Amino acid sequence: MIEVKNLTRWFDTLKAVDNIAFTINEGEIVGFLGPNGAGKTTTLRMLVGYLQPNAGTVKILNKDINDDPIGIAMNIGYLPEHSPLYDDMIVYDYLAFIADIRHMDMQRFRERLDYVIDKCGLRDVIGQQIQTLSKGYRQRTGLAQAILHDPKVLILDEPTSGLDPNQILEIRELIKELGKEKTVILSSHIMQEVQAVCDRIIIINKGRIIADELKDELGKHISEHTVLTVELEANALDFSTWLASHPEAKMTVISNNGNHWKLEFSYPGDLDLQRDLSQFISAKGWLILSMFRQQHSLEEIFHMLTTNDEELAANEDDAEIEVIQEEESTNNE
Amino acid sequence: MNNMLIIAKKELKTYLNSISTYIVFVIFLLISGWYFSALMFKTGKAELRQLFSILHIAYLFFIPALTMGMIAREKASKTIELLATLPLRLKSIIWGKFIAAVGLLTIILLFTSVHLLTVLIIGENIDYGSILSGYLGLLLIGAAYCSIGIFASTLQGNQILAFIIGFVISLFFYILQFIILLIPNAVADFFQFISFDYHLQNFLKGIIDTRDIIYLVSIVIGFLMLAEFILKLHNRLQER
Repeated sequence: MIEVKNLTRWFDTLKAVDNIAFTINEGEIVGFLGPNGAGKTTTLRMLVGYLQPNAGTVKILNKDINDDPIGIAMNIGYLPEHSPLYDDMIVYDYLAFIADIRHMDMQRFRERLDYVIDKCGLRDVIGQQIQTLSKGYRQRTGLAQAILHDPKVLILDEPTSGLDPNQILEIRELIKELGKEKTVILSSHIMQEVQAVCDRIIIINKGRIIADELKDELGKHISEHTVLTVELEANALDFSTWLASHPEAKMTVISNNGNHWKLEFSYPGDLDLQRDLSQFISAKGWLILSMFRQQHSLEEIFHMLTTNDEELAANEDDAEIEVIQEEESTNNE
Repeated sequence: MNNMLIIAKKELKTYLNSISTYIVFVIFLLISGWYFSALMFKTGKAELRQLFSILHIAYLFFIPALTMGMIAREKASKTIELLATLPLRLKSIIWGKFIAAVGLLTIILLFTSVHLLTVLIIGENIDYGSILSGYLGLLLIGAAYCSIGIFASTLQGNQILAFIIGFVISLFFYILQFIILLIPNAVADFFQFISFDYHLQNFLKGIIDTRDIIYLVSIVIGFLMLAEFILKLHNRLQER
């Protein structure tokens, strides 16, 4: 379906995309994950032919994109980064313009318009001028543009940026639904988003693919290391027996205010010690105020995927300090 | 519908819905009307030649102002990425915009018929044939300036810069008629042929010469091809 080989792109002296290769099969929903500046947008732009690569080839629907750019563009729906739109047009006129360019006749346009209005929630703004739209509606209008012609391949650059949580859920549902019959590639810098929507995740950093795995397999990487933060009330804190029976777990005291303790436990991801720990605490007669499993940020996953174990251990202390500082700053707020 | 015409239609609609288009129109008509009537009262004659020369000068400001946004605005708002990834050739985009620009030019030329009416009422020895050929010449030269303006608009994402570049290139083709006197005879003929005004004068005489038409049409094709080339280059070299 989509075949990318040795794709490389320079911007002056910066290698934005460095010799990446992947194949995407029909019906897959693939997420491109990476921090800002990782080369996601550049890669997607090369996929749609907006940017010419310095080296490498892109094949979509088994054809090189330079052989038949128009024919391939007919089968692609593309939502560029930040969803650029014509501010001085009315939403309806804009979609009608896209339909004209895509050579849709009036009847088909009506059918598809109904569909995209319904799916993207544009009913209230269809007669409104685009420059008066909120960021969320702009994004939805862009998405409507991309799916208007019912393309076989959907390429979405940060489709949920600027949306509120409800809208994000709606759009994710929509993408999942579209993914049942289409090949979808989307980019994001939000781990949860890619996890929620995609079958397969390609992580890129500094222009290189550092992981290309099915979602479940990547999950293992992520849970390699679980960090559990516990807040409790105890007069005399003593975890030595529990720690002795669980040698793989490590405990750090983050703060202690009288009988109020904040602790952090870290242990390998394949263990589930949460239940065990809370049983131990209640058996001691201490009071748990809160307990939560920390979400791994993308940066931590990058750390895990890019650094070896020694470095990881060295960085761990720093990471903990960062976590503490973050928490302090949120407390201050 | 042809892609080129779809782009032209959209562009015309956008321009005719925008207040700034009408501001440019009004300024154009005011300035050309002011100079035309001032000259008319000064010389006591209402001559077609005067009217057309004034319109030619007004073109230098009017057309770059009209075309400066055509590509530059697409670049500034990043909609060029959208256009470039739709099933469209860059050629259709450029030519569609050009057709829209010539459409706007035609509208403004229709408005100048107010001045023409003055000439018809109080002028003497009116040659109707040369009015028609004169307007054809104005339209062709306007089209040539439009292609220059669109070319300038592809160079930068900044409309003001696009205006200045468009104006400077237009001025070059306009001003040649005055510097011919200063250059050696051997090359003077060549520069005279390049000068837009030389061709306009032919049209004003009522002569429709294929050489004039071919020259102006090739200017249009040349600059639009350059514009297309710049857009293609932009894809290759694009900075982040």
